[in-house]
Amino acid sequence: MSAVPNTSPIFEARGLAKNFRGLTALAEISFSLNRGEILGLIGPNGAGKTTLVSLISGTLLPTVGELLFEGRRIETLPSYRRAHLGIGRTFQVMKPFPGLSVLENVTVGALFGKDGGLHNRVRARERARQWLEFTGLGARVEQRADALGGPDRKRLELAKALAMQPTLLLLDEVMAGLNATEVDEVVALIKKIRDEGVTILVIEHVMKAIRNLSDRLLVLHHGQMIAEGKPGEVLEDPRVVEAYLGKRRT
Amino acid sequence: MKNIVTVAALVALVAALGAVPWLGSAPIVQFGINALLVATLAQGWNIIGGYTGYASFGNSVFYGLGTYGTAIAMANYHLPFGVGLVCGAVLGVACALLFGLPILRLRGPYFAIATLGLSAVMGALVSNLDIAGRNIGLILPLFRGDELFYELALGLLVLATLTVFWVSRSRFGAGLVAIRENEDAAAVMGINTTLYKVLALALAGFFSALAGGIHAYWITFIDPSSAFDSTLNVKMVIMAVFGGPGTVFGPVIGAFLLSGISELLASNVSTVASLFYGLVIVLAVVFMPKGLVDMGGGVRRLGWKYFIQNIRQNRL
Amino acid sequence: MELFAQIVVNGMLLGGLYGLMALGMGLVWGVLNIVNLAHGALIMLGGYAVYYLYTGAGIDPFAALPIAMLALFCFGFVLQKLLLNLIVRSALLNTLLITFGLDVVFTYLAQLAFSADFRTINPPYAGNNFSFVGLTIPVGRLAAFAVALLLAGLLWLFLERTRTGRAIRATAQNLTAARLYGVNPKTIYALTFGIGAALAGAAGGLYGVVGQITPYIGVTLTAKSFVIAILGGLDKPLGVIAGGIALGVAEALTALYIGPTYTDVIGFGLLVLVLVSRPAQIFERA
Repeated sequence: MSAVPNTSPIFEARGLAKNFRGLTALAEISFSLNRGEILGLIGPNGAGKTTLVSLISGTLLPTVGELLFEGRRIETLPSYRRAHLGIGRTFQVMKPFPGLSVLENVTVGALFGKDGGLHNRVRARERARQWLEFTGLGARVEQRADALGGPDRKRLELAKALAMQPTLLLLDEVMAGLNATEVDEVVALIKKIRDEGVTILVIEHVMKAIRNLSDRLLVLHHGQMIAEGKPGEVLEDPRVVEAYLGKRRT
Repeated sequence: MKNIVTVAALVALVAALGAVPWLGSAPIVQFGINALLVATLAQGWNIIGGYTGYASFGNSVFYGLGTYGTAIAMANYHLPFGVGLVCGAVLGVACALLFGLPILRLRGPYFAIATLGLSAVMGALVSNLDIAGRNIGLILPLFRGDELFYELALGLLVLATLTVFWVSRSRFGAGLVAIRENEDAAAVMGINTTLYKVLALALAGFFSALAGGIHAYWITFIDPSSAFDSTLNVKMVIMAVFGGPGTVFGPVIGAFLLSGISELLASNVSTVASLFYGLVIVLAVVFMPKGLVDMGGGVRRLGWKYFIQNIRQNRL
Repeated sequence: MELFAQIVVNGMLLGGLYGLMALGMGLVWGVLNIVNLAHGALIMLGGYAVYYLYTGAGIDPFAALPIAMLALFCFGFVLQKLLLNLIVRSALLNTLLITFGLDVVFTYLAQLAFSADFRTINPPYAGNNFSFVGLTIPVGRLAAFAVALLLAGLLWLFLERTRTGRAIRATAQNLTAARLYGVNPKTIYALTFGIGAALAGAAGGLYGVVGQITPYIGVTLTAKSFVIAILGGLDKPLGVIAGGIALGVAEALTALYIGPTYTDVIGFGLLVLVLVSRPAQIFERA
């Protein structure tokens, strides 16, 4: 007799809202994430996508609403506690440790990530090397982080998050500024990560990639969720088209 | 792992330094005690300023509290020196824990000035306390025997340096460095930044307070202005930065070098010492902003170009 | 009640001068991101400049102010162009250290040149008082207060209404963008530091009229300027003057009600309280 699979969502947001001194960045969003799925988060600039990710990672605290991760309420936890629970993120404006080597950057992730990370620096460095190989930075481990070029910086940002062994990975525009080949590489990488059992929420503007990658899409506009569902349906939805292209003038 | 030769060399060095009171003259021993104590202060600063990146300009508050903790215990309550030191250390660490929490929320120059303010306010408070002898100060029991204080100061510096060595190798230290390099990223990657910062400050406070306690018993007479001596603040920062912040030996080298040269100059032309300090700082910031230790490696790699590279990286 | 009012007025008048002292430091900090620990030494040098112009050349101190300001402007301009521009992009700690080093050098050289004697600038009218609604107002302090407000107003006008002033503000907000608009940052930076030094020089001259000058007054004045600059919002001249007046009044009241030993400390105490209780605004600037 096979074990009953865990079908409850790994993550849930209920009535999540964020105000900044009168400006509503997010208005009462509710959605859930299923284990092992890739959810794409799209919407025009300023829609509130990064705000949403920051609320999930703990960088920002919500004005109202609940966040549940693996059944636990997490909306009041500081970001380091959420990291220990298994939530990892990349930043749109990347945040490397500039004076440290690539290896040391990623080692930090291995030392402090899920469940408090590893406590042995040697083993953490080993784990870091593995993730650096995985993301294609194996040749650059000794370089200073601030000496890397654009695409490699993105890989580093990704490797840092992966070394934390997250169960939920939040990716914020990891493909910005990449050419078509590099985009395809990153898409393949993200799929590989999902195959390792990680649930992923991806913010992206590169439409081809997000359509290819996502199991479901969620569309934000002016802080509100205007569509949700399979990529094919969502991208045809007239409200979504209007949000990106503006109202048609008749 | 450091190889056996390096460890043996260091042990020999410490032993040699330990033998100084019996080999050198009284002025040398006195110079040694001062240099060892200020080197400890520099190492303490190194933990919060060098590794964690929170440049405090007020660590003399811990030194002052250590001074007064020891002095009050010994002068007013006639407790032994060991107990006095513990009292001083407790005061220093308590201050770091209590004030560290709110002040460490500030960054950059705001943090620096808040620490400076803390030091000034504490000094003013203490000078109004009867138990601390107000502005007149306190007189501790007299102890003749500079050798004891020298060995204690040396022992304290060794302990502080070993602690910094541990920090540089430990997960805790990796966390501190991550905080320095990018605090937002550090938090999101699972580091409890508040806890780590306060612990780093507490370590700095611990060593600074013990240095103050030793100094108090040594000079026997203390008052608020000498205990909360504000020139110490900049001295320890300059020594740590000149030697190499965020390295294990940088602050020690910087402290001994600057103390030594200053002493040499002072014995010849007394006021020139301060001019010397000033010029050294100005030139060091322009040509070797990362300290002596980095310069050592840099010059080996690049020769004179190291200095030019530094300027090119930092100029407008 | 009359004592209270007198104390408050004394504090206000001195506070205006405090604000002037901090103007230059705030400007340099806000625009160049340099925290100038030698700012007090520049005030001190300005004080000596006016002192020697008065006692040596017989020029009335208030007339000597522009001369001293010009001298310090040139000094500051050259200092920035030749030395400080070299370390501008370095870590903030390094700018703190280099200016500290300069402070030590200036103090030493001043001690060498001028000796450690106390100097005061005593034009005959400065000692006069006049009465106003029952309060005694010293002429010297009132004149210093007036000049402080005048210079703050001029600085504000300069920054808001002139091309160069706007270029300076643009550079403060976004160096790269300013460059694209044809601003030469090296010159702008040197200009800004020069203005900061000139303001410090004026403050020094006025300080000599209301107080005493020695080579060592720099450190305390730097600390005060630092506090006031933060309270006032760095490169906002009107805010800084207001911050200075606030500190002046706070110090006067502290001396009266708590005790004179706390006056030096009240500034720091205020600052720490302010910083710790409103971190959000601080982070925006930092």
